[in-house]
Amino acid sequence: MAYAGGVDVGSTQTKAVIIDEAGAIVGRSLVDTGANVVQAAQNAFDEALRAKNLSEQEVEYVIGTGYGRYRVTFGNDQVTEISCHARGAVHLFPNTRTVVDMGGQDTKAISVSPTGEIVDFCMNDKCAAGTGRFLGAASAALDIPIDDLGDTALKSSHPVKISTTCTVFAESEVLSWLGKGKKIEDILWGVHKSIATRSFGLMRRVGVEDEVTFTGGVSRNPAMVEALQQRGGVKLNVSDDCQYIGALGAALFALDRIQAGRTPAKEAS
Amino acid sequence: MTITTRVFDAWRGRPLSELLYECRDAIEEGDFSMVERWRDAGGTVLGHFQVYFPVEIAHAAGMLPLKVCGAPVEPNDADSRFGSYLCSILKTSLELSLSGRVTLDMFVSHPICDAARNLAAIWGRNHDYPCEILYLPQNATSSGSARYLADEYGRLADVAGEVSGRPVTPEALRASTALFNRSRALVRELYAVKRDAPWKIAAEDAYALVAIGGRIPVEEHIDLLEAALPMIRAVDAKPEDRIRVVFEGAFCEQPPLDLIRMVGRSCYVVDDDFLIGLRWLLEDVPASDEPLFALAHAYLETSSHSPVQHDDRKPKEAMLMKRVEAAKAGAVVLTAAKMCEPGLEEQVAYVLELDGRKVPYFLSEFEENMTNFGSLELQVETFVENLLFG
Amino acid sequence: MTPSESIVGRGNRDGAALFRDWFDDLSAAAERGERAAYVFVMGSFNEILKAFDMRVSFPEISSLQLAVRRVAHEYLSEAEDYGYSPDICGYVKADVAVQLRRGKHPMGRIPKPSMAVYTNACNTYVKWAEIWERMHHVPIVTLDVPGHRRLGLHTKPGDPTFENDRRYVETQIRELIATCEQVTGTKFDIDKLRETMRHANTMSRCWARILELNAASPALFNALTDGTIYLGVANGLRGTPEGARYFEDLVEEMEYKAAHGIGTTGDEHHRLAFVGVPCYPIFRRFNELFSDWGGTFVHSTYLWFASGGANCGHQYDLADPIPSLAEGVLLSVRDAMDSMFDQTTMVKNSIERFGIDGVVFHPIKSCRTVSTGLADSRRALMAETGISSLFIESDMMDRRVVSEAQLKNRIDAFFEGLNSKKQQAAAGAM
Repeated sequence: MAYAGGVDVGSTQTKAVIIDEAGAIVGRSLVDTGANVVQAAQNAFDEALRAKNLSEQEVEYVIGTGYGRYRVTFGNDQVTEISCHARGAVHLFPNTRTVVDMGGQDTKAISVSPTGEIVDFCMNDKCAAGTGRFLGAASAALDIPIDDLGDTALKSSHPVKISTTCTVFAESEVLSWLGKGKKIEDILWGVHKSIATRSFGLMRRVGVEDEVTFTGGVSRNPAMVEALQQRGGVKLNVSDDCQYIGALGAALFALDRIQAGRTPAKEAS
Repeated sequence: MTITTRVFDAWRGRPLSELLYECRDAIEEGDFSMVERWRDAGGTVLGHFQVYFPVEIAHAAGMLPLKVCGAPVEPNDADSRFGSYLCSILKTSLELSLSGRVTLDMFVSHPICDAARNLAAIWGRNHDYPCEILYLPQNATSSGSARYLADEYGRLADVAGEVSGRPVTPEALRASTALFNRSRALVRELYAVKRDAPWKIAAEDAYALVAIGGRIPVEEHIDLLEAALPMIRAVDAKPEDRIRVVFEGAFCEQPPLDLIRMVGRSCYVVDDDFLIGLRWLLEDVPASDEPLFALAHAYLETSSHSPVQHDDRKPKEAMLMKRVEAAKAGAVVLTAAKMCEPGLEEQVAYVLELDGRKVPYFLSEFEENMTNFGSLELQVETFVENLLFG
Repeated sequence: MTPSESIVGRGNRDGAALFRDWFDDLSAAAERGERAAYVFVMGSFNEILKAFDMRVSFPEISSLQLAVRRVAHEYLSEAEDYGYSPDICGYVKADVAVQLRRGKHPMGRIPKPSMAVYTNACNTYVKWAEIWERMHHVPIVTLDVPGHRRLGLHTKPGDPTFENDRRYVETQIRELIATCEQVTGTKFDIDKLRETMRHANTMSRCWARILELNAASPALFNALTDGTIYLGVANGLRGTPEGARYFEDLVEEMEYKAAHGIGTTGDEHHRLAFVGVPCYPIFRRFNELFSDWGGTFVHSTYLWFASGGANCGHQYDLADPIPSLAEGVLLSVRDAMDSMFDQTTMVKNSIERFGIDGVVFHPIKSCRTVSTGLADSRRALMAETGISSLFIESDMMDRRVVSEAQLKNRIDAFFEGLNSKKQQAAAGAM
């Protein structure tokens, strides 16, 4: 049995996925990236190996992705997270035509063809509006753990309109609404809607086509899913493996290389 | 076919406060229903982008000239057609059309700036009706400019006539010119009140009275102003201790009414360049055998100023000072829309001139759909306090 | 040297030398207190100015040289301290700083203006000239060159609208001549105009030929990097015998390379078209981000509009120079405007001829002229052709908005897609 690995080094978290020849996930892990990116990549990979009791040698090809993809020192090659997210999303949801990935500090929209090829992509990495960072700012301002934001927001009945587009000012706007006596859930729902608007703008640039798959850590947030669905008038595919989709895509690309006979051992000979 | 249906009627027979409310509400809410009523009655609409357009031509072709100058809408569809680092007005204007809030039969733009001049191609690509570019002279002092511009107007008139089915004739142009002469004269009267007795009309109300003229038939605008002006003059109010300011920088993308309202709370806005394109011609255009040439001549010779028109005879900073002096203003609120290249570039020359002439000014940027004024209001109040008590 | 060694690469060598000589001459003039006419690439009217033996300076070119030489940020900061917004064109700001430094420039010294001549092809030209007028109180001559009035609707000589426009341009040219007489104190000599126009004819004819020759495979020159050298001569030496000779030599070189299959690179995997203005702050590196994947720029709209539309190859009729100049300027400058605002069809038509695999759209913060419409133009191109394309934003002056990491991420993803597409096509063909 051949195994392939993918390591997605993000700005906040590093994910590793190991798949078997059938493309099924046999091991996964998630660690904080921290300051030592090379170590984080290794740690994530080691943990994923341990999940299936595998040794590093049994994984025939590893691809690094994410912003730190060149720091996956044990990897055999690098592929951009754009390609990997598209690949991973289509693998989990074969009818995917549009992918929206919301990470800690950037958001991507990707359109894919019926055969899974990337047609177009658009990223928002000039500023943190429309990204998970905006939620982070709200979480800090309201002193609510980030994982609880979604459930709280869903309780809203009278959402507040958040007008600031700058994450730096989001905190002060949230506090100013609190000062005016607005309910936390209404403010939070407003924040989610604001992010959804920005992200949907990004999606429109590449064209929104059914089915739309939502990936990245923020897709675990039920309010974000709801806000995006309402904003776009589309149903979203969401997976429990949403955070691992980039790493999964990388692993699938690694599997391609194995199957094409381009493993390191064979390339060296 | 002449449209006799009135499209904006709610103000008729009402007291001043309600008349003003109707106008303000239409502007603030982005109400373009009057344009739809015009179309429902069988009329055609010529949308013209900022800054100046010879509206007489549209009118002579039986069309409603609609000033396209942004809107309080989210540019959901339009946004993806543009890149980054751009002003808002381009996107919200296109959104008005793409979203179906406004339906045009013809669109005209002029290269006022490098961003806006791209609108023509984008608009044209996304609509089926004629999208024309009007090249107004930036070489205002050439011996060939007026003739060129008259020919350019003629070209547009031909297209408008084809679209509306009513070819433009000299008689029609003369009649249209006379009507717009009248509406412009009434607006000048309104501005005289702003200058001489600003306590009689709030800044945002005066704004709304002018702005509504960009989207209703000129005949109705004349009726509105003729009804409103005597009532305004009759307002019994006392002058307050506010500084007299010129508001400069709103020649294209428009500040939200709330911003004007906010400035108006502590200042009398005694003159400005709000929607200057609607007030571009400073005198009546004389009746002429060649009405297009008369309009072209007026554009070049008896016109106001803005950063988007180059004219060696009208250096902008000198024109600003003239405006300040003529309005007996004590200070300037000097603004530019975010990302507005001509506005931001002109600010440098304005600032140097105002500093040199020791005229106090408050410098700011705005965005047409901004909703958060807290910080700005604080700054304006501080500025005013310094002037009044410093 | 063998013929091959002497001819291949000659254009780059000679071009760099001519460019250097031009700047040296400007510097020497500046040190002597002499002035130069300030002009722009879209409608430089060098035919007229050089008929008066006027020295010309192209502020767009001096500004971009600051970015290439990695000192642009100092000049930009100085202009911003002076009051100019971060959000306006970087070329203007850099030049304001050059003016404030009395012309001091890494390539020497830029002379003060004797006058400025510009068209409405770019609105920033107009505001820029107003700045010079305030600083130096010299004549600034605006020439209205009306462009196309409607998407895809091209008027021709003989059409009433075209003739109205031509008449206006001609009137303005005559007024420009009168201004030049005042500024130089020299009488206008129409035979000298014929000379400069004759040289301009040669340069335009050759430029059009050179661009066409790059349809060869492998491509003969890199439209992004080599192209900039050729543009420097096309603009700075427009209407001169040296410029004409240079371009005749360049045609010879390219024809030689085409005949012998000598490409600009041995590693041409993907033939690309570039739409926009280059990223001068990381000029070489930017190209490497593509060449590392075997991507070569064979075609670029920059070589169209930044040559003032000389790519049309328009030939003036020297029998009646002034009306002919008016006509030629109208046709060329409006073509330049089209390649900035409405290039979808022009690019589409080039795809097959040049064997283009992908189109790179590069809008920049500084230049709204070129950039505002690119998103929609790209959308239309993709809908009409299905060609792979990339949309990356940066700047041509301000390195604060150039993020190499972000550019690389997108460029890499683009090539991953291109490679995948080619593999799929090959697999399908089997």
